[in-house]
Amino acid sequence: MDELDLLKKDWNKPSQDKNLSAKDIYPMLHKKSSSIVKTLFYISIAELVFWTLINVSPYFMSASYRAKLDMVYTNQTVFTLVNMISYGIIFLFVYLLFKAHKAISVTDSAKKLMESILKTRKIIKYYVIYNLVVSFFAMVIGIYFGLKNNPEASRKFANATDEQLLLMYAVMIGFTAVFVVIIWLFYKLIYGLLLKRLNRNYNELQKLEL
Amino acid sequence: MNKELEHSFVELLEKHQNIAHKVCRLYTNNYDAHNDLFQEITIQLWRAYPKFRGDAKFSTWMYRVALNTAITLYRKSKRTINTQDFSGVEFKIKSEDYDNTEEEQLKVLYKAIRQLNDIDKALIFLYLEDKDYREISETLGISEVNARVKMNRIKTKLKTILNP
Repeated sequence: MDELDLLKKDWNKPSQDKNLSAKDIYPMLHKKSSSIVKTLFYISIAELVFWTLINVSPYFMSASYRAKLDMVYTNQTVFTLVNMISYGIIFLFVYLLFKAHKAISVTDSAKKLMESILKTRKIIKYYVIYNLVVSFFAMVIGIYFGLKNNPEASRKFANATDEQLLLMYAVMIGFTAVFVVIIWLFYKLIYGLLLKRLNRNYNELQKLEL
Repeated sequence: MNKELEHSFVELLEKHQNIAHKVCRLYTNNYDAHNDLFQEITIQLWRAYPKFRGDAKFSTWMYRVALNTAITLYRKSKRTINTQDFSGVEFKIKSEDYDNTEEEQLKVLYKAIRQLNDIDKALIFLYLEDKDYREISETLGISEVNARVKMNRIKTKLKTILNP
């Protein structure tokens, strides 16, 4: 093909780019990277800390919450077991995240590298989903036991009309929905911006394999 | 990292820097972005260098790291796009631009290449660097057959632009 041969010839002509000396290159080795992997790493650490704090802090910060929780878990063994499982899950996510970050290698093929990065993002996504589910159940269980152990509240509840009950459920569902949508938008924004180009290029590579 | 390692790395990069410059030229369109991407490629190469095994050629290894940085890891291009254009290349292609002289042909070809998406750019880059389809497919992580099919499509596309 003539045109491309012409291009090839021109392309391989001695470079018109500036030639850096060793003296120029040395300082470059010690500059900070601004790659998406590094940003993703910081985001995942921030997410782990944030969601762990969200789920753990009420227990340490509020004595009444602690008392209520102790009341719910009248059985100490169950309490210890639940705690062990939840901390176990946090450690499992930390381990998976660490492993996924370690697996990201710039010397892999383009497709493999993109997949490793997307896998890391997926792990953190599962961690957030796990925390949302836990928060949701904690809220439901909290309300249930709160009502059960609070005679005044349970009396009000028993006396409420169907319409009032319906309204109460609607408000609760509404609040939960707004909360979930805000979090979902927040993630869309953060990861959407960060991984837009990666996703586009990954899709392009996928398309080639169809 | 010891000084010896640093020294051997800088020596190799100095010798093969042209590869990184070419990638930068293809994926950025101004001087600042070019330097920015070159810097990031250098960091990525240096980080991966301790795992570099002498059995692969440094240049072959460098193609992969440089392209991966440009396609996947680099995230500053948006910020610096559309400032002064050091190559003097315009972005809109019109068939009237076509002139039969070699220089004009090249100008139009370079314009066309700059409009390709990141993956197509990588394919054409490796082709221009005389890489065979095995190496192209391994670098991008696609099958050799698909690399060949896609390359032919890009060639046809460029040909059509030159001969509307």
